[in-house]
Amino acid sequence: MIKDKRDDIKEISKYILDISGINLDESKAYLIETRLGGLIKEYECSSYKELRSKAETDSNKTIENKIIDAISTNETLFFRDREPFEVLQHKILPDLIDRRTEKASGLLPIPIRIWSAACSTGQEAYSIAIVLKELLPDLKKYNVRLFGTDISDSAIAQASYGTYNKFEIERGLSKGKLEKYFIPNGGNWKISDEIRAMVSFNKGNILKPFAGVEKLDIIFCRNVAIYFDLEERKKLFENIASVLEPDGFLIVGSTESLTGICPIFEPKRYLRTIYYQLK
Amino acid sequence: MKQLKILAVDDDPFTLKMLDKKLAKEGYDIETASDGVEAGKLISKKFYDIIITDLVMPGGVDGIDVLEAAKTKNKQTEVILLTAHASVENAVEAMRKGAFDYLQKPVNFYELTLCMEKIKNYKKLLKNAQDLREAMDVTEQNAAQTIQLLEMNVAELNNVVSEIRQVIMNQSIDPNKCVARVLDIVSS
Ligand SMILES: C[S@@+](CC[C@H](N)C(=O)[O-])C[C@H]1O[C@@H](n2cnc3c(N)ncnc32)[C@H](O)[C@@H]1O
Repeated sequence: MIKDKRDDIKEISKYILDISGINLDESKAYLIETRLGGLIKEYECSSYKELRSKAETDSNKTIENKIIDAISTNETLFFRDREPFEVLQHKILPDLIDRRTEKASGLLPIPIRIWSAACSTGQEAYSIAIVLKELLPDLKKYNVRLFGTDISDSAIAQASYGTYNKFEIERGLSKGKLEKYFIPNGGNWKISDEIRAMVSFNKGNILKPFAGVEKLDIIFCRNVAIYFDLEERKKLFENIASVLEPDGFLIVGSTESLTGICPIFEPKRYLRTIYYQLK
Repeated sequence: MKQLKILAVDDDPFTLKMLDKKLAKEGYDIETASDGVEAGKLISKKFYDIIITDLVMPGGVDGIDVLEAAKTKNKQTEVILLTAHASVENAVEAMRKGAFDYLQKPVNFYELTLCMEKIKNYKKLLKNAQDLREAMDVTEQNAAQTIQLLEMNVAELNNVVSEIRQVIMNQSIDPNKCVARVLDIVSS
């Protein structure tokens, strides 16, 4: 690759790293070109450097958001890897509820706070909501707070809208669950109001310090740290540790590991999957 | 790619014959039905990759019904609707219900083959995406098993190491017994 071009791509990768933590080294130059080519044309830029400075001076952040939408990989599915959701249903939630019930005064509903960090288009958060609904028919006894956050505007918009096409639906959902929790909507499927109401979605960068965030009982942080370099990963899981209840639970992606990243978490095995707790 | 199986449905014998002849010549494996009722019977028995159906047909089963029957039987079936007079609402309804496209009658054969090419490409891409996903799933599952095993082993070894460290650092243990203790820890 010609040097000028390489430097130009470095400019934009550095910028992407700054705004999202997503680490695109030189081997990913093709990804930048295929995913940002459209924006270069749209904003009539002659280089990535120009796109970067346009993005930096754009006060309402439209270009920055478009860059993030274009560069982030939103691949996700309902009940991804299945087992983490079985562990949630059969181990984590029952354990948590037992412990919280002991502590509770009996008057107030028992709080359960769950966070789907980097939730993409919402499938993970809705899968958690469905597990809650199936496990706890009497949801009123609990004060369930389920949050989904992602850095991508368009992902959060789809998550909030709660509508999925047949390909997104086909993956991971049984026919029974589909019929129970979704409503056909002109060729697509929309999540039922009841499940939708259980989750609140917000845009957020998980690499920014979580100031003022209340403590959480369960955190799903799956398949996002893989896009960061080691330093960012360490920072991320330390941040997560700081907002997790001392007896809370962390679930990461099925091919991720915290070894060498965050020694304060201890892996525990249940069924054929691993979850983490603070040591 | 394997030869695509086509079903053409129209109550107008002229159109039906033309479709049959031309598509067969193009190398498609084509069958015909002269109304929605007959089409329904065929669909329930057999899989078609593409169904080309007239929208308005006598006998109580119209093109939209054929579309619905096809999609209920197998979502992989793609449906092209033929509409006599450009009625936008019907076309929109058909698209909403999952039709791949609609063409105006009289059928422009060039347009139809273009549409069929599009379906072929679409199916190819779909298959490609499914294959990739499948490959990714297998790789991911394998990797997950290995990583989880390693993760647990490393955690266990870390515990062993810190136990050993404690024994060694403990001044009050007789150095001779120390070795025996360490060996105990390692072999347990
Ligand atoms: C592959 S998806 C994972 C979705 C889901 N957690 C799962 O496992 O199926 C990765 C998501 O991480 C988001 N992401 C990337 N960097 C982020 C950041 N710094 N803060 C928050 N979300 C981020 C992307 O927008 C994308 O939607």
